[in-house]
Amino acid sequence: MRAGDGPGGLAPTEALATDGDGAFLRLEGVRKSFADLVVLDGVDLAIRRGEVVCVLGPSGSGKSTLLRCVNLLSPPDSGRIVLEGEEITGRGEAGIDFVRQRVGMVFQQFNLFPLKTALENVTLAPRAVLGRDEGECRRRGEELLDRVGMSDKVAEYPDRLSGGQQQRVAIARALAMDPHVMLFDEVTSALDPELVKEVLDVMRELADEGMTMLVVTHEIGFAREAADRVIFMDGGVIVEEGPPAQVIDAPRHERTKAFLGLVLEH
Amino acid sequence: MDQLVDQFFDFGIMFDPDNFDKVMAGFWFTIKLAIIAGILSLLWGLVLAVLRQTPGKLGRIIRWPVIAYIDVFRGIPALLVILIVSTALGALSQPDLETGAGALLPRWIGVPDWFGQPAPFWYGVIAITITYGAYMAEVYRAGIEAVPSGQMEAARSLGMSHRQAMRQVIVPQAVRKVIPPLLNDFIALMKDTTLVSFIGLIEVVQAGYDIASETFSSSALTLGALLFVLVTIPLARLVDWMIARQQARYERGIA
Ligand SMILES: Nc1ncnc2c1ncn2[C@@H]1O[C@H](COP(=O)(O)OP(=O)(O)OP(=O)(O)O)[C@@H](O)[C@H]1O
Ligand SMILES: [Mg+2]
Repeated sequence: MRAGDGPGGLAPTEALATDGDGAFLRLEGVRKSFADLVVLDGVDLAIRRGEVVCVLGPSGSGKSTLLRCVNLLSPPDSGRIVLEGEEITGRGEAGIDFVRQRVGMVFQQFNLFPLKTALENVTLAPRAVLGRDEGECRRRGEELLDRVGMSDKVAEYPDRLSGGQQQRVAIARALAMDPHVMLFDEVTSALDPELVKEVLDVMRELADEGMTMLVVTHEIGFAREAADRVIFMDGGVIVEEGPPAQVIDAPRHERTKAFLGLVLEH
Repeated sequence: MDQLVDQFFDFGIMFDPDNFDKVMAGFWFTIKLAIIAGILSLLWGLVLAVLRQTPGKLGRIIRWPVIAYIDVFRGIPALLVILIVSTALGALSQPDLETGAGALLPRWIGVPDWFGQPAPFWYGVIAITITYGAYMAEVYRAGIEAVPSGQMEAARSLGMSHRQAMRQVIVPQAVRKVIPPLLNDFIALMKDTTLVSFIGLIEVVQAGYDIASETFSSSALTLGALLFVLVTIPLARLVDWMIARQQARYERGIA
């Protein structure tokens, strides 16, 4: 597939707005606390269209919270989030609807709907949210499941699928809403080692097709080869960011070095 | 020994056609009442449980009254609710003779005879639904809270509203988890339907008691007890079987 093609067979993305500096998704001074615990302590981040940004950092550094702020699953306490030139923070339900229809998310624990087949998992939201007709959703759902290599399992229930298969269905489910940005939160961490690759391959393909992606991961290898930019977070702030060759192979910050030292040992 | 048999198992009394028909007619009321009130309680309880999960600060306007309702009616004996419903509905559908003011409720609501059933029957249905709706709401709540939070998050992240997520994703999973405890509540409900004898419905207990007063033998009451057990024991076995099956599924990592 050519790099210029829109993700998931979308219309070419030329028409999608960016703000003045060409950023597609922008976070400004995002803060989030849970009771006394400050989890995000002022995060600034600008992601260009088609960019793949990997987020590294120790446990508890606020990576999941950052992703959950972006799609307002956990709205920030303060700061601004701007998507395609539109501010989504401070707009209540309108902001939520805007971001959820443009940003897809994949979770560590898959979170497939257990009483629905793989295909039903993929078609539920387009039908319920976008009101698309059943036949169209079904065709598109089968196409997406085929893309993630699950065409022979459309009628299976999640409990009959391996973790890797479930996660690929979860990716197809998110893509069914035609998102412009995809968030991945440690999507391979719950998988047996031999199943990690099949999921990363799907993500790599998605990146090659031009999807804008924000990926929290412990897979340093994936970050090194698929990311345009790597971010290292610790203590609720971005400690260091840059191209993978710089952040991973020549980190400047002590905390980054210490973290990578621990991770790369294994 | 013979005296004991006569007291409890005098077949002559039990199967005397008049007595038997009377007890069966009473039991039939019990069954109808239990089924109608049971279905209504299941629905009403689910509505309450879902309203109780209304999210957000504004949701308090709905959550708090619902919580108050559930707490109050779980704390009042069903008999009191039955007596309150019957006296209140009856009285409110009477015109006020002193002031000449009209009745607050039309007579067809205050003294209902829907589908040919007498008013005490419907008072019983209303009161038991009010009470058991509260119990069942708590059972559903346990089921809703047992659905992993990731399910709601996944649904919401796909753009579904809270309502859509509840309806399409959360409630179907929650209901499956709580079918056994709901059936347990239904058994309790069925037994509590006998309380409508207090407001003049000749259901199975009252029928048996009338016969017992005439014959000085408990046998007609025993017959009523046997009829109950005939229904409730299979239900109890069904509950056990379902729980065992769920447990097995859980252990296989499926549920
Ligand atoms: N809903 C919540 N309520 C209270 N505390 C929370 C909540 N969500 C997250 N936290 C806390 O915020 C901190 C950051 O959590 P977060 O999940 O963002 O970290 P993370 O970087 O994703 O870590 P991990 O690598 O373990 O997933 C943790 O200390 C966590 O306990
Ligand atoms: Mg996390």
